Amino acid sequence: MRRSLALILTMAVACEKPTPMDVVDVDLDRVVPDVVLPSPTLRRLTRDQYTNAVVDLLGEGLVLPSSLEPDEATDGLQAIGSALTTISPRGVEQYEAAAFGLVGQVLDDEVRREELVPCTPEGLIDAVCTETVVAAFGRRAWRRPLEEEELDTLLDVASQAATVLEDFDSGLLYALAAVLQSPHFLFRVELGDGEQFTDFEMASRLSFLLWNSIPDDELLDAAEAGELLDDAGLMFQVERMMSDPRFEEGIRAFFTDTWGLYELDELTKDPTVFTHMSPEVGHSAREETLLNVVHNVLEDDGDYRDLFTSTRTFLDRKLASIYSVRAPAREGFGEAVLDASAGRRGVLGHVSFLALQSHPVNSSATLRGRFVREVLLCQYIPPPPSDVDTSIPEPSASAPTLRERVAVHLEDPYCSSCHSMMDPIGLGFEQFDGLGHFRTMEEGAVIDASGELDGSGFVDAWGLVDRIASHERLGPCLVRTALGYASGHSVTEGEEAAVDYLAEGFTYMDHRIQFLLTDMIMSDAFRMAGEVE
Amino acid sequence: MKKTISRRTVLRGMLGGAAVSVGLPPLEAMFNCSGTAYAAGGGLPLRFGLFFWGNGNLPERWTPTGEGADWSLSEQLMPLAAVKDLITVVSGMSLHTDNIFPHTSGSAGILTGCNLLSYEDGREDGTFALPSIDQLIASYIGGDTIYRSLETGVLPGTDGNSYNGPNNKNPPELSPHAFYERIFGASFREPGEEGVVDPSIALRRSVLDAVMGDIQRLDTRVGAADKARLDQHFTGVRELELRLARLQEDPPNLASCLRPEAPSLTFPEVDGRHPIRDIHRAMADLLVMAVACDQTRVFSHWFSDPLNNKLFPEATMGHHSLTHDEPGEQPEVNMVTTFIMGELAYLIEQLSLVPEGDETLLDHMLVLATSETSRGQTHSFEEMPLVLAGGACGSIRQGIHHRSYTADNTSHVMLSAVRAMGISAPNFGVDGGEVSDGLSEIEI
Repeated sequence: MRRSLALILTMAVACEKPTPMDVVDVDLDRVVPDVVLPSPTLRRLTRDQYTNAVVDLLGEGLVLPSSLEPDEATDGLQAIGSALTTISPRGVEQYEAAAFGLVGQVLDDEVRREELVPCTPEGLIDAVCTETVVAAFGRRAWRRPLEEEELDTLLDVASQAATVLEDFDSGLLYALAAVLQSPHFLFRVELGDGEQFTDFEMASRLSFLLWNSIPDDELLDAAEAGELLDDAGLMFQVERMMSDPRFEEGIRAFFTDTWGLYELDELTKDPTVFTHMSPEVGHSAREETLLNVVHNVLEDDGDYRDLFTSTRTFLDRKLASIYSVRAPAREGFGEAVLDASAGRRGVLGHVSFLALQSHPVNSSATLRGRFVREVLLCQYIPPPPSDVDTSIPEPSASAPTLRERVAVHLEDPYCSSCHSMMDPIGLGFEQFDGLGHFRTMEEGAVIDASGELDGSGFVDAWGLVDRIASHERLGPCLVRTALGYASGHSVTEGEEAAVDYLAEGFTYMDHRIQFLLTDMIMSDAFRMAGEVE
Repeated sequence: MKKTISRRTVLRGMLGGAAVSVGLPPLEAMFNCSGTAYAAGGGLPLRFGLFFWGNGNLPERWTPTGEGADWSLSEQLMPLAAVKDLITVVSGMSLHTDNIFPHTSGSAGILTGCNLLSYEDGREDGTFALPSIDQLIASYIGGDTIYRSLETGVLPGTDGNSYNGPNNKNPPELSPHAFYERIFGASFREPGEEGVVDPSIALRRSVLDAVMGDIQRLDTRVGAADKARLDQHFTGVRELELRLARLQEDPPNLASCLRPEAPSLTFPEVDGRHPIRDIHRAMADLLVMAVACDQTRVFSHWFSDPLNNKLFPEATMGHHSLTHDEPGEQPEVNMVTTFIMGELAYLIEQLSLVPEGDETLLDHMLVLATSETSRGQTHSFEEMPLVLAGGACGSIRQGIHHRSYTADNTSHVMLSAVRAMGISAPNFGVDGGEVSDGLSEIEI
């Protein structure tokens, strides 16, 4: 990484500590673009956000709700889907049951209750003590102080319940359960003031992006003091939050959504074909990939591209047996370094990718290729026309391997206009079967995994991942996805300049994701808001 | 047009939870299709159920031989032999909506008669433009029961396609145990039991009032799209409040209503496969009892999703893979479709075993079974699979096979179904999918 010492010195004299962004702006002569932002919309908390929020509010170790409104992906991201979905009648029931169940557990537990209720009530109705509890809980849950009218309503609920049930704590139960069922908790209300997001909205945006949960009191205090509308104050909080252990949760959530790793919960493989298959494989596979991400982003503050070429990974016994390597740890996950004989490296050598982008029995060149194009390189591929026969012939003596069997995809111009984008990439991964075992033969024939990606040749997956890692679209695509994830909408025309700006910095700063996130948060694309329409 | 009886008056319980009992008409008497038994002269409660499976069928093994009342079941429909006199099969119909996106266009086309929403640049938006037929019907006949509608699913991971409107889905319950807890849990009362006397009900309602206040105030600050989302949230909260109010009333007096036994908590995989039949039958039993207990009058039962790639019993590939990649006559696709029809037969049979007066529950309802395509391999919109069961109190013919030789619009069948529920809908569908006539050959 290059540094501009002259600038740092100049700015040091001028008293303001230069941010890494200032450095990049000067080094690259990078011009901060004007952005036009769409109308802000509500986002429903995802299941993970709901769970993380109630843990932050009420403590670890509670029995969490087993079923909540399902998340739906739009344009590849659940983060974007969350800005479109609503709450169904069944969802209302589930949130109600969850609210009473969670608050009830806390009030029934002496130690937990003490944390929540710092005062000793005097009698059945103690408005002061109730207000202390409800106001503090409400401020964190709703990510802003409650307005007087809101507080009054909740205090009424509490006093009714305390009176009828003749119990002070019952008053709290009903009032706090109301807080957790309110749209101010279940939706992210970040509507801006017509120009920019307000101080408390910024706190919420920061915490959901970096922690996938609600703000802590310190962040809310910073918002209350107006510090989040100021570059230095915002930067201070970003640095603090990125060094907090909760940042790991934020990074996990981002990649789980971006790469669709949540789909591993429903991994279906034929166990008669794959003797290594068991219900835990999906979970192990997700964890392997996320551990790589966490090490890359948090521990190494490394290059995003290394995720695709690294020979280091983290395996448990299950995955080690699929990879035919020695298990690095007796229990849980241990660090392992793969060599060329394993045939695989990087996240595209993981079961998470190889098994998910396959069918229950067969591998799929098309699904694997599509993932690389659409998810990693942000190239949209239209769906197949609805009226074509898309069957792939059975293996035969003249067409033993998948390459020969899908040849028609590439020969028939009708098919090849799209399949030429996907299949050559996917065929590069054909040395991995539908679960992700390494193999060199199929139906008695040697698998040819060679090909080229946008003009750059490779012999097999080991080489293909280099081509993907060095592809010019890889970095900008992650920028685009990150901006969609952070803002809850697909990048609009008015934000394209922001993608270019951020991509320039991301490239210059060695594709470090921590830098990208900081640069994005400090940019207008994250802080400015369109008008509500 | 038939009217439904509003048997219950919404009663707001007093603070502190005094139980309020109201005299309900003897409900048993209402369940007679002749319509004469109920002295007050009101109509009859009709019920609607949607049975949906993904990935279609094989038309050449599906279409019955013979027409009208003189017909024989096909290979794929053979599992329905025991209920043949209770069903009507319609073949040869086509979807007249656009077939752009494999599977998803078909789901929207069949269930709404309207094209799937897409982005301006042609990409799939992945949501329906209009309510699905179950919710269209529920908006007319769902108001008098504890639940406006119920949504259930069978294969793990099923999302269903019950839509109230764009991006506004009713996710199905996939766990029989969770469904049991929801319908027959602590708050359920059998006929003859009294309304719940519990002061906490009024307090829960006061919480919901506070939540509704929050929604209404927030509604004034948001844009048009968010207003629709908050309206749905508000509706959901209001429905829950109504449900709590009804807990304080006496339960419906229905002879066939019994609290069922709780199903297993989980249905573990057997040799790496989900026990689909066991899950389905547990869910179907509960669904039948939920209707028999008049907890709802509209359900949608999502056996499997379009595009699902689950391993069915004895199949060597996932269902979706099979439809595309199985060579020749596709014996395994045939096996899966036939398996699903066996489960449809189970549901129909169970509904037909519930006595209601001199007749059965099935006589008083209409079940509509369909999929998003016919031949999965080509995502075909022709020869759409359509099976109807139950006569909806004599509105729909039973025991016949009707075949269209002119690829008529499937929306005609949908409109017949909607009208059979006593709803005087002028049309069904939009643009190419729109019709203003039902299918007269299946109507009485």
